[in-house]
Amino acid sequence: MLKDVPQEMIDRVKVLTGVELTDDDKAYQDSIQIQLGILLLQLFNIRQLKQAKQFPDAVAGHSLGIFAAGVAAGVISEDDAIKIVFIRSTKMQESYPVGYGMGAIVGLTRKEVSTLVEQVNSETEPVFTSNQNSELQTVISGSIAGIKKVLNLAKENSAQKTVLLKVPVPSHSPLMQSVADVLEKELSNVTLHDPSCTYLANFNGHAVRKVDGVKYDMINNLVHPVYWDTMMDVAQELGIDTTLEVQPGQTFTKLVKSKFPDFRTITMNNMNIDDIEFLLEKWKRG
Amino acid sequence: MVKRSWTQNRDAKAAKMESIASILDGKFVDTKNAKELFEEVIKPGDKVVLEGDNQKQASFLSKTLASVNPERVHDLHMIMSSVSRPEHLDIFETGIAKKLDFSFAGPQSTRISQMIADGTVEVGDIHTYLELYARLYVDLIPNVVLVAADKVDHDGNLYTGANTEETPVIVESAAFKDGIVIVQANEIVDKVPRVDIPGGWVDVVVPADEPYQLEPLFTRDPQNVTELQILMGMMAIRGIYEKHNVQSVNHGVGFNTAAIELLLPTYGEQLGLKGKIVPNWEVNPTPTLIPAIESGWVQTIHSFGGEVGMENYIAHRPDIFFVGKDGTMRSNRAFGQMAGQYALDMFVGSTLQIDQFGNSSTVTNGRLSGFGGAPNMGSNPTGRRHSTPAWQSLRPDNDPLGKGQKLVVQMVETFGSNKKPVFVDHLDAEEVRGEAKLANVPIMIYSEDTTHIVTEEGIAYLYKTDSMAERKAAIEAIAGVTPVGLRSNAKELADLRAKGIVALPEDLGVHRSEAKRSLLAAQNMDDLVKWSDGLYNPPAKFRSWS
Repeated sequence: MLKDVPQEMIDRVKVLTGVELTDDDKAYQDSIQIQLGILLLQLFNIRQLKQAKQFPDAVAGHSLGIFAAGVAAGVISEDDAIKIVFIRSTKMQESYPVGYGMGAIVGLTRKEVSTLVEQVNSETEPVFTSNQNSELQTVISGSIAGIKKVLNLAKENSAQKTVLLKVPVPSHSPLMQSVADVLEKELSNVTLHDPSCTYLANFNGHAVRKVDGVKYDMINNLVHPVYWDTMMDVAQELGIDTTLEVQPGQTFTKLVKSKFPDFRTITMNNMNIDDIEFLLEKWKRG
Repeated sequence: MVKRSWTQNRDAKAAKMESIASILDGKFVDTKNAKELFEEVIKPGDKVVLEGDNQKQASFLSKTLASVNPERVHDLHMIMSSVSRPEHLDIFETGIAKKLDFSFAGPQSTRISQMIADGTVEVGDIHTYLELYARLYVDLIPNVVLVAADKVDHDGNLYTGANTEETPVIVESAAFKDGIVIVQANEIVDKVPRVDIPGGWVDVVVPADEPYQLEPLFTRDPQNVTELQILMGMMAIRGIYEKHNVQSVNHGVGFNTAAIELLLPTYGEQLGLKGKIVPNWEVNPTPTLIPAIESGWVQTIHSFGGEVGMENYIAHRPDIFFVGKDGTMRSNRAFGQMAGQYALDMFVGSTLQIDQFGNSSTVTNGRLSGFGGAPNMGSNPTGRRHSTPAWQSLRPDNDPLGKGQKLVVQMVETFGSNKKPVFVDHLDAEEVRGEAKLANVPIMIYSEDTTHIVTEEGIAYLYKTDSMAERKAAIEAIAGVTPVGLRSNAKELADLRAKGIVALPEDLGVHRSEAKRSLLAAQNMDDLVKWSDGLYNPPAKFRSWS
């Protein structure tokens, strides 16, 4: 994953966190390695874009992605982003060693999913309606037992597809409050700036133009759903018609394409920076 | 006792105009001085009308307003029929504006919901177009109006052409009540083709940096009409247009109504209805009407606004459209809405949700899209006095003082494009009312006004029902396999058919197997151009066929 990333950046992670990113399959069994690895790749992508003088009108991160988004918008420094993500991933890993996770339901509306979640959620088997990835793609989060019950109910209510995700943590649910508390303390020592462009917030899907909203998102996005679908609606209403997805993968480009077929999209995963610069300049000329 | 001055508003306007004397040359202000102009003549708390409906936008002036210093210009009370452009809401985030009275917010429906919920926008009310225009003369009289013109001469006479739309109703509300009328101009000319707004009503003209935004919102490519829509169109023609002898109509703009327009010259002709139904229209110049015009079905069309690409065709058909001596169309949204409310036999529209009682709304998923013109036209004006055969055909026969009723028709497929039921027990709008703290549930068309619902299953003649229980049963009978529809049963359906409250395609002599694409008078954009004798010029984004 990190083969193009300069050694100097990988070394910097070691200095700041003590973690050695070995960039092999074994290392990526560990969620701290995964989160730091993805962040570093994204920070490298953002450096590439800056060097090519390509600057966004708006940034949207999904969960971990908000830290790279924050760097792209000049809210947080690379070093601080690395330090915060290290703490975030460590605390996430410590918080629920076994029995918790996330599931995804395709084909039901958020309202329909919420009704099923309410039927199941209890103190012993907590489960919550979580991320809204698209109108008909909702994530649930909580205890594995609760999630499985909701997924079964969803199937009975003719959901197209239900999946138990390979995520060992009940992210984006109230169960993550302890991690948010730690992040609040840590971020109080970090200097943050107003974003240089519109920042689309995870926790409520709003457009944010002041540092306070970004800071709240960085502290608390783990206890709230990611309202990705709303973030994209707001982006479109703000006049955005072109998206660029940093590495890895192209999950979000696919979501954008199915929601807004007319959008122009670029994924850094399968295009080199020179081609990207050429395309963006061409589109700007119209 | 101090004698009060009776010219305080006039004096205030004079003072404002005096303050811009240094940048004013006659009525003209340089493009680069637009921001300074606004900072001088727009005062905190002013009521400001910003022109913009769903087609034409005073985009240079809206961008200029968003650029002013919020310390000088703030807390404005904006009056906008359509909230369409990003900066229409940006000005609330920056504090330039505070309160909003509007009609339609489709293109900004997510942001406006968020901003109302978090208090960034204080909503006066959500209106139908006519209500909003009417209030400009009563309790929302503007201090400043910002409008757009195509051409302006050196005396300030405006040519607004095919997209005159709501410019007259806005300008008049300010020009005669000491408001300031500011116009953005695409072009300054020695002589305008015709005077749509007299220069005497205009205070300031600013040449725009680029032409005002104009969108071809009412163009529907026949290629995208489905066979289900063709079936529903056939049912509507037989079971409503023919049955009620409908002479005048407004079509909401969607593929359902486009199908009807394209079926008149073919299926309508086969039924021998030519010359018998719908000669008179209040509708935007939709390209899908071209075949019906060319084959002699349509005699007159008055329009709310223009449609990009139709200019030259309209210029060559002055017998049909309202066209000035200069040869270009004149539209007028206020008069169009008035005609649509009071002078039509029938409104045919579509919606995103209909509840078990027959109320419909386009507000779904927490998106507050507002209304626009559909509720004016999709309501029964109880003040109406003149009679027509269609109107009389809905008169209850047991009331000696009874009168007719406008036909208000909703055409929907039972499941929407997201595969979710259109027929629901409760509208999403009920929840949005709470989230956005609205006084009323944002219902587009009320059950009491809805006379017919057409689905792929059949037609419900709601005006014939005599209780809410019967109305609900009629809706269930045509609601297909939605949860609402599944409450219907065979016996109930048979009873309703026997009473003539529900008609299935076979009751109307419509054969499902005949609902084929080949029945459309035009299959694609190319066909529409051919029908128009090459006079219709489709916008680029509809030219994939060439």
